[in-house]
Amino acid sequence: MLNQLTADVREMLEEQVTYRELLVQMTKRDLMLRYKQTIMGFGWAVFMPLMNTVIFSVIFVRVAPLDTGMPYPLFSYTGLMAWNLFASSLRFAVNSLTANTNLVTKVYFPREIFPFSAVVVSFVDFAVSSVILVGMMIYWRVAPGPAILFLPVVLAVHLMFTLGVSLLLAMGNLFFRDIKYVFEVVLMLWMFASSVLSPVSMVGGRLAVILQFNPMTSVIDAYRSVILLNQLPPAGPFALASALAALTLGMGWVWFHRTEFRFAESV
Amino acid sequence: MGRPAVTFDHVSKKFRLGERYDSIRDLVPSLARRAMGGKPTLRKAEDFWAVKDVSFAVEPGQALGIIGPNGAGKSTTLKLLTRILKPTHGHCEVVGRVGALIEIAAGFHPDLTGRENIYLQGAIMGMRRVEITRHLDEIIEFAGVREFIDTQVKRYSSGMNARLGFAIAAHLEPDVLIIDEVLSVGDMSFQERCIRRMERFKRDGVAIVFVSHNLQAVGSLCDQALFIQGAPRYLGTAQDAIRSYIEFSASTEQIERNGKVTVVGAELRDAFGAPASIVSPGDELTLRTRITVREPIDDVTFGFMLYRSTDQLIVYEGNVLDRVIGFSGLNQTEAVVEFTFRANLTRGQYHVECYALHNPTHEYLSRLVPAALFTVTEEVTCRGVADLQLTAALAAPLGAGARAGLQAASIAAKG
Repeated sequence: MLNQLTADVREMLEEQVTYRELLVQMTKRDLMLRYKQTIMGFGWAVFMPLMNTVIFSVIFVRVAPLDTGMPYPLFSYTGLMAWNLFASSLRFAVNSLTANTNLVTKVYFPREIFPFSAVVVSFVDFAVSSVILVGMMIYWRVAPGPAILFLPVVLAVHLMFTLGVSLLLAMGNLFFRDIKYVFEVVLMLWMFASSVLSPVSMVGGRLAVILQFNPMTSVIDAYRSVILLNQLPPAGPFALASALAALTLGMGWVWFHRTEFRFAESV
Repeated sequence: MGRPAVTFDHVSKKFRLGERYDSIRDLVPSLARRAMGGKPTLRKAEDFWAVKDVSFAVEPGQALGIIGPNGAGKSTTLKLLTRILKPTHGHCEVVGRVGALIEIAAGFHPDLTGRENIYLQGAIMGMRRVEITRHLDEIIEFAGVREFIDTQVKRYSSGMNARLGFAIAAHLEPDVLIIDEVLSVGDMSFQERCIRRMERFKRDGVAIVFVSHNLQAVGSLCDQALFIQGAPRYLGTAQDAIRSYIEFSASTEQIERNGKVTVVGAELRDAFGAPASIVSPGDELTLRTRITVREPIDDVTFGFMLYRSTDQLIVYEGNVLDRVIGFSGLNQTEAVVEFTFRANLTRGQYHVECYALHNPTHEYLSRLVPAALFTVTEEVTCRGVADLQLTAALAAPLGAGARAGLQAASIAAKG
């Protein structure tokens, strides 16, 4: 069993090395297509989280003031940016196999490329939208401290979890098309359970115990800690989130890889 | 012989006919029923063996053609080779870099330009970016789309699409080339270019697996061919496999019949009166056509058409009118008409059709297709259809310089 697993993992990684340029080309294709025939282009990557930030700032600053320990727009923009990377990766990934039936049934290459490129495309949007965050930090005079050095770790955990869930969704939707409908509802609930717009710590009670197993909460809180508060994320919850993210990616990828040969017949 | 580049070892592939659960709506009740101890509500799934116990091997520098009727498992075989599908039983292996063209422009995205698509499709086939850049000009040139290279592919004609697809594959430098029916698209000059390119691949030591309905192309390109219909029917030299396929699919039939006159049968005999099925160029053949006349009929012509079976090319049409034999006032008889001709043909598969024609109206009274099949074999392959029995001679003296050059050339050739 363990031998089989090692062999699979080696094959999975080798394939990614062999086809590394395909991932680049696929991502390029998706990026070009995404903003082709639009006037705003990458402006859209910034526009959506910015709009949401404005709306929720009005609500949580004027209507129902909320104490988040920092200017609310900074709080919500950071949350929305991180959440968007996750959500838009999944939105892309869920259809990535079924939208490319032609390729899945006609050409061989590791099918992981499809969900992976969905994540990379969303990551480019994420990078673009971070420019606004820098602008906002200058406006509110929030300077990052040494804790910012921990940012790559937070990002890595975030990406691992996103990749894992993307693989599972892409595969699930290939076999059961219900997934893409169910997933929109789940995603909305998940957002409110992830301290995107308000701190989950405010929920309290038994629900809060369950919610702390949500890796997205820890990840989003960790972004705020290392960028805005110059603090390392709390070790316990962040370690748990990292473990869950690694597990999701590992299991998701192996499962995906072992099911891959049935894709062409089932799509 | 080294290790084969392509090995297909007793491979079978089973598909399940009918849909299984495609959404959770179907799955959940079925699982629930199973949990309650009932029978699962799978719609009765029937198994279908698309490919059954097929084996072959292709050495580097060789080409294998796969032929057979529609739905015979040809494309499934290629998908098994390219790892798109996994065999149910058996084992298949491809050594080295594979260039696969299952559908010529599968990776193209309509909204991207030709140039962007070259990079994308190239990467899908496993080419490095620098490699594509190095071959970019050649690819564009080969496809003949230079003016349109920065136009979106959705504005391309289907021929341009196909040409660009093949052009990319043609510059892949693969070890193994797997091709499904590329010659059905593109105009004649492009098809010719594809064939020549594949011949060059072969000379360069690439192993080719080639699926096509173009038997002429299979015959000229492939060393061996496999005729399959689910199960393998024949594996051997390309000519033999093609012959086996043609014989299999040629169920003799009457195309027109009005009952008055019927061509009931025909046979082909050689100069010694023995049945002829394999002949050499220039052999004398006799086609004996048996005809039944039931009602009185005037002014009728009997004739035959000779086709090259691999592409339905009409090689020759002959009838008795040409030889000034009148047929009038026939009634209630059995007649035998004999045509004698020389098979001045090049290597290939041929068949004859015999017919009876009402002269004034030019209406067929009876057609028998194919009335007979035969194969022309020869040692030296001539290109073309007809054996023109060529002789060549130096008719006019050349200038002294040219002659000296000619001598030098012949000495060099001897040396």
